[in-house]
Amino acid sequence: MTVAFSKENLALSRDLQAMTGENVMLCYQCKKCTLGCPSAYEMRMKPHELMRAAQLGLAEEIYWSGTIWICLSCETCNTRCPQDINILRVIDGLREMSKELEYYNPYPVLPASHRIFLAFVKRFGRVYELGLALLINLRMLTPFKDIDMASPMLLKGKLKPFPHRSHGAKELRQVMARIRKLEKEQSVSRQAHGGH
Amino acid sequence: MKYAYFPGCSLSSSGFDYDLSLKYVAKALDIELVEVKDWVCCGASSAHATSHLLSIALPVLNLSHAEKGGLDKLIAPCLACLSRFKAANVELEHDADLKKKIDEVFDYKYQRKVKVYHPLEVFLQMGAEKIRERLKRKLTGLKAVCYYGCVFTRPPKICQFDQVEDPQSMDTIVRALGVETLDWSFKTECCGVSMTLTRSDMVLKLSNDILREAKETGAKAIVVACPLCQANLDGRQRQIEETYKTRYGIPILYFTQLMGLAFGAYPKEVGLQKLITSPQEVLEALGLM
Repeated sequence: MTVAFSKENLALSRDLQAMTGENVMLCYQCKKCTLGCPSAYEMRMKPHELMRAAQLGLAEEIYWSGTIWICLSCETCNTRCPQDINILRVIDGLREMSKELEYYNPYPVLPASHRIFLAFVKRFGRVYELGLALLINLRMLTPFKDIDMASPMLLKGKLKPFPHRSHGAKELRQVMARIRKLEKEQSVSRQAHGGH
Repeated sequence: MKYAYFPGCSLSSSGFDYDLSLKYVAKALDIELVEVKDWVCCGASSAHATSHLLSIALPVLNLSHAEKGGLDKLIAPCLACLSRFKAANVELEHDADLKKKIDEVFDYKYQRKVKVYHPLEVFLQMGAEKIRERLKRKLTGLKAVCYYGCVFTRPPKICQFDQVEDPQSMDTIVRALGVETLDWSFKTECCGVSMTLTRSDMVLKLSNDILREAKETGAKAIVVACPLCQANLDGRQRQIEETYKTRYGIPILYFTQLMGLAFGAYPKEVGLQKLITSPQEVLEALGLM
């Protein structure tokens, strides 16, 4: 594809560097990341293509491809990158930025699943595995998808039927609230400087 | 030796047998495990996928509880938890800006005094000789492959343990028990567990690749060191067999379960009855059924 490159296109790579400390401009497209990526076969935009798109400021294309959501966070790409770019950190940065953006996401259940996971952590201090499986499957409208896996586990006592609470949950909620406040201040200042 | 113990959300439920067998082995090796007071979830994938600060804060909360308890060594048996804890320690060491933000959100200022280990690191530090001394029976006749999972050695800057592409630590320990560990190229291939509920199709494909490779090497069992790897390869094996029209029947054992058996435990004492893919054949071959 042809991109008319202008100064505005540099905003994305600049924001990513400010947020994650990673310089996407170092990428010279060796493709080592894509070749080691276990979910590349499912991605419309492969990891090395995502890096190129980040260099060119093509945020909309990145989010439309959904690549950032089907990344498995296996750390293979950043282990093998000859330029020592922490590609996973770039992807996490894009995931974090997407919270405030309105782009189309082909895999909406993935950010939803993270929200559900963290909602359990906030409520109980720990993940209620059975609840997590139920809520995510309800959200996906596939209530019986994991029954093959869940029922033998339940029968063998490997899945707790009720959630386990931690006394550390109160402190955790306090920390989460302070983090939310800090992040809000950061995002306000980022938007004020004409960023993403 | 006294260690703070962080079981993590999995070991309290789906990884229950790992917890059981680890405690058995720790007792046999005179390792005292003190559970971290009021521990909370490490955040796993969901924290770092939504907020970098939160992904560091959750481990720090737990590490500060351990620090306040006066312990400077912590064992985290789950690889996801371990990876997050190690990342917190390493990033706080090198990123002053991050340290400042973390200190802002916490009342207690974490001093980075707690070192984090996987049980394998601890056992290797003790030495394979010490393990051989405790053997009550040798597990000869079992051919297995060791599956390390994706974050055991990656990224090397965070994990700082073992060879990145071809780790040997689990193989070393398991071989000391008399098991024949086979060489294979899927030691650190991702099984997809972080999306086990949201993209089960990908998980079936990736985990099938691993099981197929294990079968082709002639392994009769896969030895793992993480409850997430175990839940995926064991719990979804039936589904994988149906989807790919194949038959595996390969039990997925924790290395601590094998250690326990070698130290003289009955299969029930190390939670072998909790496995979904039956280890019957393996145990019969070892003369333990």
